[in-house]
Amino acid sequence: MFILVVGGGKVGYYLAKELIENGHEVVIMEKDHSRADQITDELGSIVISADGCEGTSLGKAGCARADIVAAVTGDDEDNLVICQMAKHHFDVPRTIARVNNPKNEELFHHLGVDELASPTRMILGTIEQDIPVQELLHLATLGEGRLELIEAHLQADSPAVGRTPSQLAMPEGCALFGIIRDGVAVPLTPDMALRESDKVIAIGNKACERALHLLLIGATGTDGVAGA
Amino acid sequence: MLETQTPSFRRAVVALNGGRSDARITRIACELARANRAELVAVHVVEVSWSQPLDADIAGHSDEAQRVLDSAEEIAEESKVIIEPVLLQARDAGPALVDEALERDADLLILGLPYRKKFGGEFVIGRTIPYVLKNAPCAVWVVREPIPEGAS
Repeated sequence: MFILVVGGGKVGYYLAKELIENGHEVVIMEKDHSRADQITDELGSIVISADGCEGTSLGKAGCARADIVAAVTGDDEDNLVICQMAKHHFDVPRTIARVNNPKNEELFHHLGVDELASPTRMILGTIEQDIPVQELLHLATLGEGRLELIEAHLQADSPAVGRTPSQLAMPEGCALFGIIRDGVAVPLTPDMALRESDKVIAIGNKACERALHLLLIGATGTDGVAGA
Repeated sequence: MLETQTPSFRRAVVALNGGRSDARITRIACELARANRAELVAVHVVEVSWSQPLDADIAGHSDEAQRVLDSAEEIAEESKVIIEPVLLQARDAGPALVDEALERDADLLILGLPYRKKFGGEFVIGRTIPYVLKNAPCAVWVVREPIPEGAS
């Protein structure tokens, strides 16, 4: 695959390095000339010292034939512009953006970025995994951004406690497929009663999040999804 | 003390950029190769932009690339020296020349440098020569063409 990585910081550098080691064709765009020279010294002639927010520069970097464009600069606005140009001007099949501010995620999805990578959300999720939360925990984005992998940590007052999956009116487009009970992953069967402290893993589209929250967490707590 | 002995080498890569300096460096290389009984490899690198795959069939169909190498072979023939023509495709000429010199175990790399100035008068050396000077493991000769009249 030909992958265009925009942003030659730590993330872009290690991303490109891994991709090259896995046999992909990679080019990095980095607007800081001295940083571009440094990466060239380490990885070879795969760096274009230019601003990825400029359409002509993206064109010179081969954006029109890229299979994937990964915008991983430290600036959310730049990453959005890069992915939008890649998607709508160069018809790149898959765009991936680094999102530093989780509040920007919805906007990125809305404006057509295929996949998001949020370091902030990942760290937040790691912190929250072992803390009982009154929210659904967002673990990952799947299906080119259309589906979410979600975890619900059942508390004593959860309406799902004591009930089996077959007794729960699951919202359309959403499925429960496993639980983590006492640290062990267990496949969920229709007659298995859910217990307090179970971590229920669900997959579904964004539209069913509210219904899923009411079903597994209840009406209490923040009605939303925490990051992972 | 002034050294008058002919510089010696056993295998030289002659980098041809398709410009006016090609004939000059090929003649110099041929004369010295004959005196040293050394081997010569003429390398012309076609740089492929990122908008095309590296293995796109460009060099093979380029009349200009063939002309560059044919001209070097003609000069070598006149000098009664054999020169091996090599046509390469790469993203950047500098790393391709250094790799070729390494692969061929060359002990000399010869490049020509046209005399050019930017608008404003600053001399332009390009990016290939600095790269080769910094990275080539063998000796490097850069032959700058004379300053054209009225350009200084």
